[in-house]
This record gives sequence, C-alpha cells and structure tokens, in this order.
Amino acid sequence: MPTPSVPSDPILDRLASSDCEVKFKAIREVKNHIIGNRTKKLSYIKLGAVPAVAAALSDCDPNLIVQSAAALGSFACGVDAGVRAVLDAGAFPRLIGLLSAPDEKVVDAAARSLRMIYQSKLAPNYEFFQEKNMQFLLSLLKSENENLTGLGAGIVIHSCKTIEEQNMLCDAGVLEKLASLLHGSLSQRDASLESLAAIIRNNPAAVSKFVELHSGRALCSVTELAKDRYPRTRLLACLCLISVKNSSSCDLQDTEIKTELVYILLELLDDSGQVGDEAAFAFSSLIAEKEDLQKLAFEANAINKFNCLLRKCPVHPKRLEGIFLALADICSKLECCRSSFLSLQVLNLVVDALTHEDANVRTAACICLRSVSRSIKNLSAGRFMNERVVVPLVQLLSDLSTSVQVAALGAISNIVVDFMPHKSTFIQCGGIKELVQLTKSMDSSLRLNAVWALRNMVFLADKMCKEGIFVELTASSMASLINDPEPSIQEQALALVRNFVDGCVYSVEHAFAEDGIVLDAVGRQLQKSSKIEIGIQGLYVLSNIASGNEIHKEAVMQLLFPQDENGCCTFFEQFLKSNDSRIRTAAVWVVVNLTFPASPGAFSRIVNLRSFGIVYRIKKMVNDSCMDVKLRARLALGQIITFGDS
Amino acid sequence: MSLFWLVIRQLAEIEAMAASKKVITREEWEKKLNDVKIRKEDMNRLVMNFLVTEGYVEVAEKFRMESGTEPDIDLATITDRMAVKKAVQSGNVEDAIEKVNDLNPEILDTNPQLFFHLQQQRLIELIRNGKVEEALEFAQEELAPRGEENQSFLEELERTVALLAFEDVSNCPVGELLDISQRLKTASEVNAAILTSQSHEKDPKLPSLLKMLIWAQNQLDEKAAYPRINDLSSAILEDPTV
Repeated sequence: MPTPSVPSDPILDRLASSDCEVKFKAIREVKNHIIGNRTKKLSYIKLGAVPAVAAALSDCDPNLIVQSAAALGSFACGVDAGVRAVLDAGAFPRLIGLLSAPDEKVVDAAARSLRMIYQSKLAPNYEFFQEKNMQFLLSLLKSENENLTGLGAGIVIHSCKTIEEQNMLCDAGVLEKLASLLHGSLSQRDASLESLAAIIRNNPAAVSKFVELHSGRALCSVTELAKDRYPRTRLLACLCLISVKNSSSCDLQDTEIKTELVYILLELLDDSGQVGDEAAFAFSSLIAEKEDLQKLAFEANAINKFNCLLRKCPVHPKRLEGIFLALADICSKLECCRSSFLSLQVLNLVVDALTHEDANVRTAACICLRSVSRSIKNLSAGRFMNERVVVPLVQLLSDLSTSVQVAALGAISNIVVDFMPHKSTFIQCGGIKELVQLTKSMDSSLRLNAVWALRNMVFLADKMCKEGIFVELTASSMASLINDPEPSIQEQALALVRNFVDGCVYSVEHAFAEDGIVLDAVGRQLQKSSKIEIGIQGLYVLSNIASGNEIHKEAVMQLLFPQDENGCCTFFEQFLKSNDSRIRTAAVWVVVNLTFPASPGAFSRIVNLRSFGIVYRIKKMVNDSCMDVKLRARLALGQIITFGDS
Repeated sequence: MSLFWLVIRQLAEIEAMAASKKVITREEWEKKLNDVKIRKEDMNRLVMNFLVTEGYVEVAEKFRMESGTEPDIDLATITDRMAVKKAVQSGNVEDAIEKVNDLNPEILDTNPQLFFHLQQQRLIELIRNGKVEEALEFAQEELAPRGEENQSFLEELERTVALLAFEDVSNCPVGELLDISQRLKTASEVNAAILTSQSHEKDPKLPSLLKMLIWAQNQLDEKAAYPRINDLSSAILEDPTV
C-alpha cells in the first residue's frame, strides 16, 4: 500500500494563518483533499489538522465557517477516528450554535456536518428527556430547510434506543412530524422512514400509536413506499412494516402483505450495494421465530436465491453475515427448508465460512450450522459429524471473539447429540478438551454453552465416551458447575449429571466418585430449589441414581431423608406438592425407582417413605390432573401395595 | 402525468370494443383524441421539468417569465450543476471536483463509485496530455487505495493504466477510454448525482412519457389498426394499413 502523502508545504501553518485569504484557501484545500478519500482523512487527522480546521468555526467570515464546517463534516464521514477528532476539538457545541446563524449557507453547512457526526456511534447521545432538547428537535423536524429536518431525523435514528426514549418521542408528537415528512423530498422520505422504524422497533405501544396516526393514513403511506422505485426507500419502508408486523397482533397479519414483504426483500437482495447487504438482515428479522413466514419464504424459493448470491464471488462480509443469519432463520423450524438447504450444497459454503477472517461472518456461519443441524434425520445420518465440519468448529472454540465461541458451542451442542458411531470424530480432534476448558471460562455465556454441549454429548453416549469425558471434566469440577452462581448453568450442569448417571449401573457410579461430591452438590441444590427447572433436573438425577443397585438407592434415601431431620415436612414432599406438574412427575419417578419390588431393600424403604408421609402423598396423587403424574403415581402405589397396605 | 393516463384510458376503451382486430379510421381517432382534455399548466410543467433537468437554465428562466411556470428546483443550482458538467466535458476534472464539493460536500463523500470515476477521468486526462510520470504518481497515490477498498475499482484502474502501455492509444483495446464519450459518461454520472442530492429525478419526464406512448401503441397494435404515430419528432398520425 502506498503511503498516503500529505502536501509537503506546512499546511498546519497556513491553517492557523492570521491572513484570512491564506486560511480560507488552506481549509478549502484540505476539504478537497479529504472528500471521498479515506486515506487522506486519516493522514490529516494524524497530522493534527482537525483542531486547526475547527478553530475557524469561531471566525466571523461566513465563507470561512462554511468551508470549516464542510471539512469537519467530511472528516466525520465514515471514519470513526475523524468523528473522535472533531468531537475532541470541541466543534460539536459550536456547530449546534451555528444552526441558528442568520446566514443560510452557514446553517446548511453546520447541519450537514452534524448529520455526518450523528451517523457515527461515537456521537454523544441526545438527551430527549430534557425539555429544551425535545423542543429543539421538534423545531428541527418542522423546519422548511431540508438539511435541518434531515439532522432532526438523524438525531432520532442515532439516539432513540430505549423504550422510554421511544415513548417520550411519541408523547412529544414526533411521529406526527415524521409522518408529514413522508410526503417530502426523496431524502426527507428516507430519513422519516428510518426514524419511524427507530421509534416503533420492539415497542407495541408506539406501533399502535403509529398505526392509528391520521386514522391509518401514515401506515398506508409507508405501505405504498414499500413499492417505491428507489431501493433504499423500499428497504426502509419494509423495516417499518416489519416492526409493525412483529409487535402487533391484529394489523398486517394477512398473508398478502407478508408475502409481499418476502418478495420485496428478496428482490432487494439483488442490489449490489448497502441496500442489498441490509436486505438480508431485514429478511432475517421478518421471518425469525415465525413458522408461517418461513414457509412463505420457502415457497418464494428464498433458499435458492441465497444459494445463488453466496456463489457470486467475492461476497462482501456484511452480506455474507446477513445471508447466513437469514438462512439460519429459514432453517430454524421447518425440515423442508433444511432438506432444500442440504440438497443445494449450501452446507459447504457455510463450512468454508467457519474460517472467514471476519468474526461476524464466523459467528453467523455457526448460527446457521446450528439451525440446520436441528434436522434429526440428517444428524442420525452423520451428515455433520465429519472432519470437514467438526475440525473447524472445534478450532473456533478457542477463537478470540467470545460471540464466535458461543455460536460454535451452539452448533456443537446440536451436532454431538445422540448417534454413537460418529462421536469419535469429535473426540479425536480434541473437542472434549476444548469444551472442558470452556466450562472454566470467566464468561458465563461460554460456561453455559460449554456445559450444554457436554450435556448433549453425554446423552446416550457409550461407556468409552462417558469415561473419556468424565476423566477430562472430573467430579469436583462437575460439583462446582452445579454450584455455579448462574442459575441457568446450575440447571445445565444438573442435566449433564442426569445424562451421566443415565443407563447401566456403571453409569450411576459417576455420581459417587470423589466421596460423592457430585451427589452432595445435587442434594444442596435441591434443598435450595431456587428455580423450577433446577428442581426438575435435580430430581431426574436422583431418579436415575435410584434405578441403580441397593447402595445407590439407599444413598438417594439418605439424601432425601437425612437422619437429623425431624421428619415433619421434608423438602421432597414439597416437590410432590408442587404446582408444576413437571416437578411432580419427576418426583414421583424417584419414588417409583425407590420402590421397585424386585430389589431386596424395597420393603424397608417403603416403611421409611410411609413414616415420612410420602406414601400418603402418593395416594393423593392417583387422581392428579396431569396424566403423566397420575400414571406414575398409580405405578408407584401398585409397587408399594405389593408389600401390603398398612 | 394526467395526459398519459387519459390517452391510456381512451386506448383501453377502444381495446375493450375490439373483439377481433378492429379498424379505427382517422376521423374516429381524431374525434376521440379531441375529447381528451390536457391542462396547459401540465404541459408547461413537463416542458419546465425537461429544461431544468437538462440544464437549459437561460431558456428555463425565459420560459418561467413568459409562461409563469415555477421550476421545481432553484434555478441558481442549475448554473452550478452545468458548470460542473461542463468542466468534466472539457477535461477539467479537478475543477469539477472542487465545484461539486462546494455545492454539497456529501455527494462525493457518500458515493465512492462516482468519486472513483472522477479520479479515473483525471488519470485519463493526464495520460491524454502525455504526462506519464504525473499519471503514474496519481494512479499510485490516489487511485490504488480505492482499488484496495473495492475489487471492481481495481479492475477499472488496471484497464486505465493499461493505456500507458500502448504506443498508439487510438488503436489499442482500451482506447475507448480516451474517447469523448467517456467524458460524457462521467459528466452525466456527476450530473445525475447532483440532481439526486437535490432530491430531483435524474431523468426528465418527457422521454418516459414518449416511451410509454410507444409501449401503449405496441400493445394496441395487437388489437386494432388505427392512425399510429411513427415519427415522434413530428407526431404525425399515419393512416392505418389494413
């Protein structure tokens, strides 16, 4: 790369010259050098030209101010270092002040520059809750000057993030002002659509206000604009409509509009620029979690379209990311979509992207893989458990970006489920070591997903596999995961233990390693019983252990009814009395396994259970409202009665 | 656009009547056309839109005074826009860039493709004037970084630099870059970008109306024989061939 050159003449001196003519020429020269030219912007910023240019904003010559504002705007355009430099030079408040200058050219130049600054995340947050700020914003939005209305919209787009801010803007009448801009010039329409989308996003109250605005005419205008001839306008209108659709139950629910949105967005993907890139993200938000829309997308041949787009080389990283996310959403629920995805060989493209240099692309590829690997049919065919897929995925477990690691864990969680013969591929490439390492991460989302992946890995695994994982993980780490500060991790850790102790007697032994440290931890979590899901997993751990031999069953009895407890009302009885039928089912399962008649100690256990009031409780459950509970309770009672009912 | 839609409605009515290919005589046709009412102001606005978009600023000014039609854009900006266009057309690209930046600094900052094409045109002009060393330096400093940012720019840059490799550029495979048509292409791209930045359509309405007229006639040809307009410049109705 050639080193960008800055003119050798001392430009800084000329920028600071006391001769107005010299200064004017110098600023204009800098401006003309940097506009459109990223490399020049960076080198002038490095040279320290920004403060010198900003100083001219305080000049009294309007021509000088206009040049200075224009140059500052260009520094801030598309270059974060430029925005920072402009802010650091103190130009921001000065530019705001210039908005009320008498000279219209100065106002235009200042407004343009501020708009550029507001396009960056680095711009200071606009505090809507201050009354004078809100009044100022409204005055911008109702101005005749297009640059001022554009700035007003830019402020909304930049700073309206929270529900409170959205509601504040609605209450102040900003929606009305923006709606009237929908009939303005090209740039006003786009700015208005984008700000409207920012105000109504994920906010049902704001959506209904917008839908009712001018008795529905504003919504009609937006619907019309979704068919506008300008691609950007169509995209922005679609974003508004998606927000409306996603947060209201009655409006826009008819299939016609949904289908239309699907087709408009698919067509926008053909745009080779930013609009095409963003269309993929919009498409993803349109169909996410919505099975009916995923079906519509499938019928509109969306997967094939994405496939074709991916095969055009080279694809911009932003677009790759968007397309993978959209594909992840299409394939998240429907098997027909996954089949089509696989038969079109899109999987190869996704796997290639696992090693892409852009972290967002790697993350999106993992999310896509996770979604496709929900296909039981293809999982059991071992379609994903091969070196080509697994090796890069395991490598991503040590990626520098946490979001990549989490996404990779998500994909691995699905791929390792069930289907024994294939697990060896994963073990051979060091996957277990990586997963175990991540269960010790400082980042809770990494710990959570790593435990989750291990849980799925252990599900129905053979002896070899379980042993391998157990040796790597150790009983003491398993115990500390059960006691993790995060409840969601406690739950997954218990589920992991549940899968470990599932199956033959040797499996149950895992709970007794290191003096039963795991079983103790399970017992403590159950006594605390802070969350229903934790209770369920804990009870199934006990239920699985109680299916083991006499020693195992007695250990469960010991845990449920410790010697020192006075026996009036045990925590186990609380589970049997729970309002949640899943808890009751799990608890009755424990009793069923403890009272299995063929085992020699069954009778003495029944005597104990009776003395703690458990048999009495079970009798009350034979007519439980939940069918599962009812059947298990009858099974348990049947076993108990074989030893006589007293 | 009312003129067009009225004509279309007439055509549609005729179409509805024609079960097989119907013949419409000149009298019938002219009578039907006479029933179509066109507002004078609409005509004037179409003319004004054409003059303004094409940049005939003096004519537009006269037309405004004589017809009382207000242009939909500030006439002063047309002068500026034409000055930019003219600068590109006569090869003064640097001058053109400065003028665009004075007009609105956002245009070239937010339109990398246009910016690249202007820089490319600058390079072409340097090569045309035989300033080989300057051209190479310019290509390396100004254009190469853009090529790194965008693959298609890189390809265009390579094509342009290839001009330097030929003794007789008028006869080389990339010689068309030196044509006047290349300047006109760049000039019209700048023109369109300025118009868009002013929220103005980049094409005049009149040509699209005529396109629609031709399209409508083609549609009607399948259903009817009627006095057709074949020469757009004279707009003479020609008798149907039966």
